[in-house]
Amino acid sequence: MIQLSNIEKVYRTKTIETIALNKVNLGINKGEFVAIMGPSGCGKSTLLNIMGLLDSPTAGTISLDGQAVTSFGDKKLANFRNKKLGFIFQSYHLINDLSVLDNVELPLLYRDGVSGSERRKRAMEALEKVGLSARMKHYPNQLSGGQRQRVAIARAIIGDPEIILADEPTGNLDSVMGEEVINILLNLNKTDGTTIVMVTHDEHMANKTQRIIRFFDGQQVN
Amino acid sequence: MMKNYIKIAFKVMLRKKYYTALSLIGISFTIMMVTVFASFIDSVIGANATEVNRNRTLIFDKVSMYKAGKETASAPSYPFIEKYVAGLESTEYVSAFTDISYVSDVNGRLQGHHLKLTDENFWKIMTFDFLEGKPFHQTEVKTGARVAVITEKAKEYFFNDQQAVGKSIAVYGNSYKVIGVVEPAVGYSKAYADIYLPLTTDTSVYSKPNEISGSYCAMLLAKTSDLKKVRTELRGRMRKIRNHVSGVDSVKAYAFTALEQFSKSSSFRDDEPEYGKTAIALIVVLILFMLIPAISLINLNLSRIGERAEEIGIRKSFGATSRAVINQLVIENIIITLVGGLVGLGLAIYASQLLVVVINSFDPLFKIPEGSLILSWRVFASSLFSCLLFGLLSGVYPAWKISRLNVIKALRGGNNL
Ligand SMILES: Nc1ncnc2c1ncn2[C@@H]1O[C@H](COP(=O)(O)OP(=O)(O)O)[C@@H](O)[C@H]1O
Ligand SMILES: [Mg+2]
Repeated sequence: MIQLSNIEKVYRTKTIETIALNKVNLGINKGEFVAIMGPSGCGKSTLLNIMGLLDSPTAGTISLDGQAVTSFGDKKLANFRNKKLGFIFQSYHLINDLSVLDNVELPLLYRDGVSGSERRKRAMEALEKVGLSARMKHYPNQLSGGQRQRVAIARAIIGDPEIILADEPTGNLDSVMGEEVINILLNLNKTDGTTIVMVTHDEHMANKTQRIIRFFDGQQVN
Repeated sequence: MMKNYIKIAFKVMLRKKYYTALSLIGISFTIMMVTVFASFIDSVIGANATEVNRNRTLIFDKVSMYKAGKETASAPSYPFIEKYVAGLESTEYVSAFTDISYVSDVNGRLQGHHLKLTDENFWKIMTFDFLEGKPFHQTEVKTGARVAVITEKAKEYFFNDQQAVGKSIAVYGNSYKVIGVVEPAVGYSKAYADIYLPLTTDTSVYSKPNEISGSYCAMLLAKTSDLKKVRTELRGRMRKIRNHVSGVDSVKAYAFTALEQFSKSSSFRDDEPEYGKTAIALIVVLILFMLIPAISLINLNLSRIGERAEEIGIRKSFGATSRAVINQLVIENIIITLVGGLVGLGLAIYASQLLVVVINSFDPLFKIPEGSLILSWRVFASSLFSCLLFGLLSGVYPAWKISRLNVIKALRGGNNL
């Protein structure tokens, strides 16, 4: 499903050069739930962003669902992010000016041929899945961290993506809320067969997944 | 999609009150100025209510006489217009008129009046709304009948708003019978006056029948929009004059539309209009007028839009193309500009009335009517159009810039522009 070959990411500033990823080769199968672990600054987020086409590698190639996406232009990239990928961020990244319902609808806004009423219907279904139907008229800043992350999950799943990328989705949550969030993801993987890649610091969470990939200093370690 | 854009546009406007207020003040003030300016120009050159034929009406208000290489220029006399300009093949009507002023004293109340001495064709070239009665016709002009058409304002002054037709007014010691009452024409137009009288009531009009120079002005309504034809025919007639008028080697007549007169450089020597310095100056002023606020608006937008980096990052993460981001931000900007523009148009209505009050305070005896700078639909439409253009221009650059931002950088938030 996801194939990374010789991925390199170098951040250059005037004074220093940081090698965030050093020749990473990695494959993730369809329907897999994988956890990525490693100390802070080892390149986990960078890896996930590159997988999710939010950032481009300095060198190396990526193929998603059999397509070489490294050379995609803006329009194709956007289309791919829209249809195949769903992102969940540690800091939620909800739009505070929009209601919960409008936030969840967002990905469908950029998909052709989805009517307003269908968007609404599917957003309500997604919110149902994460147990937040009662809060759809609220605004993000009226919700707790766990609720916001569930809104973010609803937004990530509304477009039925084949791949969900979650960067420390429970990092800002207490253990009870974290548990809720991980259970939603597990359920999604089991029932819909969604491929999930999750970055986490939490061994307990990681142990619930099928495979743990460990990173150190920009490289995979085993 | 559009609904979503509009929704967020208003949310953002309400949340960023400081930016919104600043933008709105800037935009509305600019649009107000542009509108008042446009409205003034429109009253001078536009085909407004009374002068619907303005674009094919030539104004002949200057003749040059050459004698032994020396040129003297002046306004033409009425006999000259009657003899050499009336009845041109290429014209539908030719009308002569002159403007004089008269201060009346009704029961100790002084009032200035703009008088227009004219002929029957004036009423055919202009389209006045008659509230009472009718205009004067050929017979009245031929016989020098003492009749008058007055405006509503004059009627109010002379007759306290009662029926005016059939009653008389005194002008320069003579009594004139009112035969018609009209809605006032737009101030600053050739149609404008308070009282209209047959030009033959001025007994001195034929006192010097062979004099070329005088104090009249002619309006030539062309049959078609081919104004060149009229000017060519007019030149042809002027060439014949040489032999008829003693003491002059040649005569040149100048006839231009209001627009041509306005946009021409000050030199009136050309046979055909040349859109000279005035037009350029006007365009430069107008561009500066719009450019300076547009640049400040772009700056304002750069920070306003820059602060929305995170939102843009989020949208792009979930499938917005750069194009979609640009569209959204530009539409938002147009919405803000339109709101500001509508406020500006509202302000312009007050500002133009205020301007009339200010103008009238300089010359209290000869007041121009309150509706003189009224916004025509043309001015309204062009202001709205400049508003759209303004929104488009000031929005595109910041939107384009932020749309190119790397998604991860954008997501990190902060102002990145
Ligand atoms: N925009 C950036 N500019 C410079 N260095 C960066 C940037 N983003 C990340 N880095 C560096 O790259 C390395 C990997 O970062 P990151 O992928 O965020 O690590 P992790 O998510 O594992 O904590 C770190 O050393 C970090 O400082
Ligand atoms: Mg990280």
